[in-house]
Amino acid sequence: MRKFQNISDRLIPIIFMLFILFAWQFVVSMGWVERFILPAPTDIVNALILNWSDILMHTGVTFFEGITGLLVAVVFSFAMAIIMDQFVLVKKAIYPSLVISQTVPIIIIAPLLAMWFGFGIAPKIFVVVLVCFFPITINLIEGLQSVDQELIDLVRSMGARKIQIFSKIKFPYALPYFFSGLKIAATYSIMGAVIGEWLGGKAGLGVYMLRARHAFALDLVFASILVIVILSIGVFYGIAMIQKAIMPWEKLKEE
Amino acid sequence: MNFYQNNSVLKVEQVTKEYNHKNIIEGIDIHLNQGEFVSILGPSGCGKSTLFNVIAGLLLPEQGKVFVNDVDVTGKTGIVSYMYQKDLLLPWRNVVDNGILPLEIRGMKKDEAREKVIEMLPVFGLQDHMEKYPNQLSGGMKQRVSLMRTYMFSKEIMLLDEPFGGLDAITRLKMQKYLLEILKKIHGSVLFITHDIDEAIFLSDRIYIIKGFPAHIVEEIKVPAKGSDTQEAMNTNEFRDLRAKVLKLL
Repeated sequence: MRKFQNISDRLIPIIFMLFILFAWQFVVSMGWVERFILPAPTDIVNALILNWSDILMHTGVTFFEGITGLLVAVVFSFAMAIIMDQFVLVKKAIYPSLVISQTVPIIIIAPLLAMWFGFGIAPKIFVVVLVCFFPITINLIEGLQSVDQELIDLVRSMGARKIQIFSKIKFPYALPYFFSGLKIAATYSIMGAVIGEWLGGKAGLGVYMLRARHAFALDLVFASILVIVILSIGVFYGIAMIQKAIMPWEKLKEE
Repeated sequence: MNFYQNNSVLKVEQVTKEYNHKNIIEGIDIHLNQGEFVSILGPSGCGKSTLFNVIAGLLLPEQGKVFVNDVDVTGKTGIVSYMYQKDLLLPWRNVVDNGILPLEIRGMKKDEAREKVIEMLPVFGLQDHMEKYPNQLSGGMKQRVSLMRTYMFSKEIMLLDEPFGGLDAITRLKMQKYLLEILKKIHGSVLFITHDIDEAIFLSDRIYIIKGFPAHIVEEIKVPAKGSDTQEAMNTNEFRDLRAKVLKLL
């Protein structure tokens, strides 16, 4: 019964998506919408297959920018979260500015970055870092600060030094929080890279989409969107798998 | 009043601790002898845990001193072991690795620490659960692991702060017997906090009764030796009178 429930839980969203795709295909095939306004799903897949080698090259560039930015963001987030956790004054000083910085629209910042750093790969990675830094840092800080005070007292009563409290208690405790932040950041990372590329450059899915749009090749624009979606989901699941490998105790809960 | 002052491993002298300029505990004098089980019995929230935090060195008292083996250790951590009502096990470590935490903090190598813990598992009845993680264990089992971790730190002076307070009544009775069995094997000295009169009488050699605002020791009671280690042995007139006497004092 339980197994049946699981299968139907998975089938329902798939059936729904298939239904949307069929409706879309039907509307375009019947000629109710012009193909150059909205290409049909089959057109998109065709475009993807025909331009596969081009798209693959651009995808590689975007993927590299996204992952590099994500890794840089992780490093900075750890440094920031640890400093904010250890020094209350720093947290009080920085936390509000951190929140305010997130309200600045990234689409406005990106062209400025192109002005400052040129059209190379650096400003793209910078955009990714900007988008990914916040969710990781906030979650990590929350994890570090929500350790049970009695647990800290217990290890303190054992004579633990500050560094031991951090490495043996606080850090492993904050890991699940870190991963939920990282998963959010992962979905942003590819999008951040595309926004960075959108403003100009030599390669990447953002650049490719821009060219396709200028050529009114909407099927290629949609094909790029499809690739971006798959890539983002891929990064997300990749991180979820790393999490499962690092924290085997989490999945024991249900047993 | 004091029965075996001479071989006491822990002495608390005239300890007063305030919070927000009000005394919570005042003029506390207690001692614990080698191998003895002493309870501190009093109503919830009267400052018993504050006293434990002072003894563990986590809080510095305004007045008074704490001696371990006649050495002044007031405000020093890392000397006595401490067990809380919450099991406070690390969910990312299995039973053995939870047990090695105090040894690791002391700087022992992990493999060596694991060997020591594995050696002790049968004593605590945990040999069949060594690979399990805390969320696979029942409440009683978790407290066994927590007790073993407390022991791994030190058996000289074990502070147990209502360790069975979060368990259901039946598991609790089982754990009380279990604790006495363990103590027979490991010869530890225990200072035990509780608000349960029967628990205090069943487990202890001596009981301090603490109450009031600020909390102070109102009476020290010696519990007569019990014939056997079962709760049924408590149904004699002698223990009934003792229970009535304690109840009156509270």
